[in-house]
Amino acid sequence: MAAPVTPLLEVRGLGKRFPGVRALHDARLTLGHGEVLAVIGENGAGKSTLMKILAGVQPADTGEIFIDGQPVQFQSVREALAQGVALIHQELNLAANLDLAANIFLGREPHKFGFIDHATLHAEAEEHLRRVGLDLPTDTLVGDLPIGRQQLVEIAKALSCEARVLIMDEPTSSLSQHESETLFEVVRDLRAQGISVIYISHRLGEVTELADRVLVLRDGENAGELSRGEINHDAMVRLMVGRDLEQFYDRKQHDPGDLVLELEDVRTPAHPHAEISLQLRVGEIVGIAGLVGSGRTELLQTIFGVTPSVGGQMRMAGEPFAPRNPREAIRAGLALAPEDRKQHGLILQMAVRENASLASLSRDQQNGFLNFNAEEKVATEAVEQLAIKTPNLDQATVNLSGGNQQKVVLGKWLALKPRVLLLDEPTRGIDVGAKREMYRLMEQLAADGVAILFVSSELEEVLGMADRALVMHEGRLAGELARDQLSEQAVMQLATGTPLAA
Amino acid sequence: MKAARFLLSFACASALLLGWGCKKPTDSKSSTVTIAYVTNGVDPFWDLCAAGVRIAEKEFNIKCEVHMPTKGLVDQKRIMETLIAKGIDAMAISPIDAENQTAFLNEAAQQTKLITHDADAPDSERMLYIGTNNYKAGRALGQLVKDALPEGGEVMIFVGRLEQLNARQRRQGVIDELLGRPEQELASVKFDPVDAKNLKAEGSKYIILDTRTDNFDKAKAKSNAEDTITKYENVACMVGLFAYNPPACLDAIREANRTGKIKVCGFDEPDAMLQAIKDGHAQGTVSQQPWKYGYESVKAMKLILDGDTSFIPANKFIEVPFVVVTKENVDEFWATKKKMAELGKQ
Amino acid sequence: MKKNIIGILGLLIAIFVITAVLNPKFISAYNMQNLVKWSSLYAIMGVGVAFVIITGGIDLSIGSVIGLTASLLAFTLGKNWDPAVAICAMLGLSALIGLVHGLLVTKAKLQPFVVTLCGLLIYRGMARWVTDNQSMGFKGHDQLNEIFSGKIPITDTFALPMPFVFLVVISVAAALFLNRTIWGRYLLALGNNEEGARYSGIQTDNLKIAAYVICSLLAGISGILFAFELDSVQPAQTGEFYELYAIAAAVLGGCSLRGGEGGILGVIIAAAVIRLIYNSINMLGISTHLEYAILGIVILVGVVADELLKRYTAKRAAR
Repeated sequence: MAAPVTPLLEVRGLGKRFPGVRALHDARLTLGHGEVLAVIGENGAGKSTLMKILAGVQPADTGEIFIDGQPVQFQSVREALAQGVALIHQELNLAANLDLAANIFLGREPHKFGFIDHATLHAEAEEHLRRVGLDLPTDTLVGDLPIGRQQLVEIAKALSCEARVLIMDEPTSSLSQHESETLFEVVRDLRAQGISVIYISHRLGEVTELADRVLVLRDGENAGELSRGEINHDAMVRLMVGRDLEQFYDRKQHDPGDLVLELEDVRTPAHPHAEISLQLRVGEIVGIAGLVGSGRTELLQTIFGVTPSVGGQMRMAGEPFAPRNPREAIRAGLALAPEDRKQHGLILQMAVRENASLASLSRDQQNGFLNFNAEEKVATEAVEQLAIKTPNLDQATVNLSGGNQQKVVLGKWLALKPRVLLLDEPTRGIDVGAKREMYRLMEQLAADGVAILFVSSELEEVLGMADRALVMHEGRLAGELARDQLSEQAVMQLATGTPLAA
Repeated sequence: MKAARFLLSFACASALLLGWGCKKPTDSKSSTVTIAYVTNGVDPFWDLCAAGVRIAEKEFNIKCEVHMPTKGLVDQKRIMETLIAKGIDAMAISPIDAENQTAFLNEAAQQTKLITHDADAPDSERMLYIGTNNYKAGRALGQLVKDALPEGGEVMIFVGRLEQLNARQRRQGVIDELLGRPEQELASVKFDPVDAKNLKAEGSKYIILDTRTDNFDKAKAKSNAEDTITKYENVACMVGLFAYNPPACLDAIREANRTGKIKVCGFDEPDAMLQAIKDGHAQGTVSQQPWKYGYESVKAMKLILDGDTSFIPANKFIEVPFVVVTKENVDEFWATKKKMAELGKQ
Repeated sequence: MKKNIIGILGLLIAIFVITAVLNPKFISAYNMQNLVKWSSLYAIMGVGVAFVIITGGIDLSIGSVIGLTASLLAFTLGKNWDPAVAICAMLGLSALIGLVHGLLVTKAKLQPFVVTLCGLLIYRGMARWVTDNQSMGFKGHDQLNEIFSGKIPITDTFALPMPFVFLVVISVAAALFLNRTIWGRYLLALGNNEEGARYSGIQTDNLKIAAYVICSLLAGISGILFAFELDSVQPAQTGEFYELYAIAAAVLGGCSLRGGEGGILGVIIAAAVIRLIYNSINMLGISTHLEYAILGIVILVGVVADELLKRYTAKRAAR
């Protein structure tokens, strides 16, 4: 064993609570010099909270942070940066209307006698850009660069602050395959220069390729660590979900029945030139994978009538179907649990009772008057059937946890007994326990003959739940993968626009 | 389908209503227009003034635009600015807030022949003022109250707002007359505070309880009168200083079943007030004979434009005589008013 | 929603008791009758605007719609229209105005503030233009006067003013609509979260339009009632600024300008509070020049107290 070296960054016993949620509990982390540490975990496992604390975005409730063995406390992003810790956000924080040099030195412009020293500014900017492999004129406007390059600019900006620890939060979520590979090169270069990287990702393939060590978080706690030699897909998943994959998703065999929903050359307003055809059968669970912005949500919204299609035909159970608004889609037997629960799924200020009954009010009405008995029944059934944890039916849904909110959304739709259930990121922001319940529910509904079409950015979920997967790329269906063809690599290849080898 | 027809018929109905409006002749904006008559608001009173304007238009063969601002001071200023921009030759205006408008009035006086009517702006450079001696008229109103209450009693005053000089002068006239104070000079009237309560004087049998304002909201005017009936059970006479105040008082008194028991004296000549005088429900009203305002204003502007300024007295005040209308002369007065009202609408 | 009413009811009772103690004549039957009458007249507009505010909108044209219907009513009656036809035409016209507002807000996607601000100017201008800006009265329409501003004797001294009867009918219907029908529920839902309501299959546009129609229709009814109460109409002045009283009543009565919140009873009590303040100022002999200041302060205090009460109860519920 080598003599213990003081790690560059060490975190001990970090804890953070939000109202009603324990986001982090006794989280630990060490990071050596020139090391790439991947932090992985399900949504809601506490990765983002941990990173925000490290970067000074928000303070921790408990715990200590050491840099080079010295205890530090970050009250702000500026203080973290002064210690060499920089966060590259998922949403980039660049000013699109300024050029590269101005962005890199924004707020720290070199100056002489109160005037900006443009010569120094551009010379230094060029140097930092070269470190991340960007060979561009420093007066290029940031807004003119593709997103992958903007990210590199952001990294250059962090380097210009003499950052020693770069925290990258899902850096590849909106990058093409090629852009991702460029980024990996840059990360390896930086490692060679002695800069340490904390790399957060959902994509286990990337992690395997890039990481020196993997830290797994689950429900805000350390679930385990994997050193270089131990990193493999199954080991990571096992730590993330806390049990074997098959057991977690609890899949049963489905026998798809009759055709229920059919799309033929449908074009969505968001991608009016991409024609989409797909078929959905009774009792089938179909996943839609793809990168952020590939048009998955827009497709569901068009099927549900939120943004009516601009071309093509749809059929529900053989009947022509062209919903101009959600109401028409609902009447045809569809339901959508939207991606943005708080904006689209719930009336947050209203009670569980009112939310659960909202869609079925008009069915249960008595000449326009509310049927309070029917409403009570619908809400009670939803709470019982879905095991919604709420003190009572009159609790405002804003006070419920993410998982229970999602259950209220589903309860609202299940009261109508839909034939097709559209789920957009059904498990985003809910804990592992609630996820399992969601998967079981999907199984149950499919067994009862509901056709389920779900969008997910979590590959594990698509791999675990889907009978077959549709992969979208830039508004089009890039390909379809049957159950036995499903693999992370195949999905990613299609999602980034590379055709599968025959 | 049915709903559509239903809506259509209403659309037609409203179009019809608009159609009527269209039939009326629009004011001709020929180049002969050279003078303007600007009021301080919208009121039947001003329609009667307009009648005088029309008579004078014919008599002196001149065109006079009549403008009635609806949004107070700002609107009046906007109208005046537009007129000046149009190059109006002479303008008669009833300033809403004379003291604070002085600078603007002076500006206007630089660019056109400016006279004031109804309310004066004594500190401005207007050429002359045509109007009632409001203090004297107030005293005449006070005399009406004395006639109504020979034994004395409690008197309440109602007015739209007291920012206007004429309103303050009228009020002071009423107060001075009832309290037996000596007559003051119009130019230098001393005012009691606007919220003075229970004014009385030795040797006077009258108590002036209070002055309530309503900012020209008629609903407020009526509820002010109602509240007075509640608060002061011994109120014997209500004095309304603006045209709509006495009818509002009469309404409130009638609904409280106190008609005739509470006397009403007022200013100006709305039909409801004249009817009440006829029926003996109101003591009387002081009329400024508004048509004379319009007539005298146009006449004065015509003379000035013709280069004749010899008719302007040293104090620059041309007094329009007021008349006191009581049961004795109400029929004759009303006939004149009806004639003028007809004329003013044309 | 019930908590809101407790706050505003407390305010009403407090001002009532203070005024009654300081001036016992305040509680005379005659004064109560007047108070009920004026409160009713203003509450009807408040109930109307509450619907629009619940959708997250605003209606600034109420005063002008009052002016327009009052003026056109006097005008058409003066032209010897059949009274029933004239009244129906006014109701139809005001509903039509609401429909246009609703269509402009939902289909043309204009901001309610802008649409109704333009309405404020347009209807006032039309009222003045059509009627030639003449003051008009209602001579010879005793029957209509009886219907709209008459009184129903209750005791020897106290009679129920007709506007109160109108208010009771309107508010019962409005409360039933808002709290007992699916459309009322939809209205509250869309006011809270329009997108969320749409995703749940609610035809949000139609409901918003309905809210504007209700608002303008009630403004039209107010216009008729005010016209007969005052027996005279000035096209340029009748109803001027009344939208502010209506909005003040709705806000003080617990409607959130953010939408999604509000009840009918609260608005009615708030309208009564505002009229009570005016009445108290006269009863206590406070200078009329102070009116607006007192009114503003009381509304502010009411709204702040309401907010604090809400936070307090929320905190207790969270515990």
